[in-house]
Amino acid sequence: MNPENKITQSQKMMVFVLSMSLYGLATLFTELIPSFQVGIVEFSVEYFLFIPLTLSMLFDPLSAALGAATGELVFSEIMLGQFGGLGELEKFLTVTIGVYIAGRLVKNPKNRKMVAAASILGVTIQQLMGCVVDILKVQFAVEDFEAVAGLPESVFFTEGFACLNDILFSGILFCMLPAVYLVPKLYGKIEPLLGMKPRDEKTVLGSENAISLKVVLLSLAGFVAAIGAELLASGGYELIDWEAAWAESTGAFITAIIVAAVVLLIAVGVIRNRAAGSKNAG
Amino acid sequence: MRKLTENILDKISIDYLRNQVLKNAYGNDDTAIAKLDPRVLLIWYLFFGLVPWFLNDVILLLFLFLFVVATTRTARIAPLVLFLFCIGVFSQTGYLFIVALFFGGNAETIAPLLVMTLKVAIVSLASITVFSGLDPDRLANGLLWFGCPDQLSFSISFAYRILPVLMEEFQNILLSYRLRGNPPQKKTFFGKIRYLFYQIKMIIQSFYPLMLNTAKRSRTTVEALELKGYRYSLKNPQVKRLKLAMLKVTKGDYIFILISVCWAAASFGASALLGNVL
Repeated sequence: MNPENKITQSQKMMVFVLSMSLYGLATLFTELIPSFQVGIVEFSVEYFLFIPLTLSMLFDPLSAALGAATGELVFSEIMLGQFGGLGELEKFLTVTIGVYIAGRLVKNPKNRKMVAAASILGVTIQQLMGCVVDILKVQFAVEDFEAVAGLPESVFFTEGFACLNDILFSGILFCMLPAVYLVPKLYGKIEPLLGMKPRDEKTVLGSENAISLKVVLLSLAGFVAAIGAELLASGGYELIDWEAAWAESTGAFITAIIVAAVVLLIAVGVIRNRAAGSKNAG
Repeated sequence: MRKLTENILDKISIDYLRNQVLKNAYGNDDTAIAKLDPRVLLIWYLFFGLVPWFLNDVILLLFLFLFVVATTRTARIAPLVLFLFCIGVFSQTGYLFIVALFFGGNAETIAPLLVMTLKVAIVSLASITVFSGLDPDRLANGLLWFGCPDQLSFSISFAYRILPVLMEEFQNILLSYRLRGNPPQKKTFFGKIRYLFYQIKMIIQSFYPLMLNTAKRSRTTVEALELKGYRYSLKNPQVKRLKLAMLKVTKGDYIFILISVCWAAASFGASALLGNVL
């Protein structure tokens, strides 16, 4: 163990791997267990978020948060073939931000009240961001959003309800209570396994405050990026409408084919060139 | 409520889940899709994952949908994944439709939602074909070639290897808790709810030993990586080239590209023709 109690690069990697494999396993299960609905209320076992929350309160928060988000991406999206492309970036960023902030807040993992407050705050942050992004997504993706009878109200209603439901049901039951149970129990036991000293007020955050301006700004930037990614992934209607103004719709389609074919050809060419280049170089 | 608990407990049979996931990851190396170059498939996915969002023509979308159904069949995807796909599509739009009906929507609400459903279906089937049909290592190498962060490609390869071990360990821990535990009676309604909560509590408790064991394992993994100079090799272009030398575009890839392009062009043409006729 190094005398200064700094976390080394390889220890960060260990936390990353740990958080990735555990949270990945858990999300794989939640993906496979169908959620059940009683009326409009959805009781899903959604979310074993307590795992990365626990780890981020005990170890380096950023590595744990990134590991969890990567784990979810790899295990439950890519392995099951449910990868949604750019849209997955939204979940990745919101999970990272929520877990990271929650992890930074806890100075003394033995303090149960603090653990409880931080974990519920982390869930709330993550869910609220997800909710806003979802509403925006439907608003941009369905053309004539306002014109479809009953759609706007239903979207606001279902999304808002799902968000509240997730915070209260999954948040308390699957995040707060398990974290309150696990964090103090693991504290001091799991750190030596990775060759670290347990977290105390001096070792974790250095001289920075728990929530510094930098963290807030970075989180906001991440949130904006998440919205942008989600809208890019599901939007695109306005672009087509705009094109349809100068061409008949079939014309626009044919242009689209040609553009797509050219892009495809260029890509193939790049592949061949770079393959040849690397052969020459090697 | 009883059906519901039974349903969940049926699905929690970990052996079943493990078999399905393993089958999905390793069981289809010999399909036509799995033999393709990962880079070609990723570009193909870029087309079929993005373009449908920009189209509003139902006929065209139907044609593209048929094509991705065909590729999914070729890739021989595990049934569980397809089942999840159906649930996913329904929960994204079908559910919205039912709620919209409650708020005074009518049959006209179907049309935009059908277009949206087709789009979601095409994009997800394309992603199932690529990410589920491909061997994980090939997929990781393909992503690496396109300049994805090395951590991601490492995570993919690592995840596929560690998953069977982790699942087995989780199952053992869960079984040992079950052996020692005394489950509540589940005859009455409240008994069933109590039983459900008992199960959930047990799952959460079993993460305690699992976390400790995985911590040990991840330390071993990282130390082994360090011994092999993993972080140094990340930055070395020569190592990367060596790693990616296995990727080759073959005749099969060209045929696949040709079929895709022809089908896409034909469906664009068909939709234009039918649009004129109608």
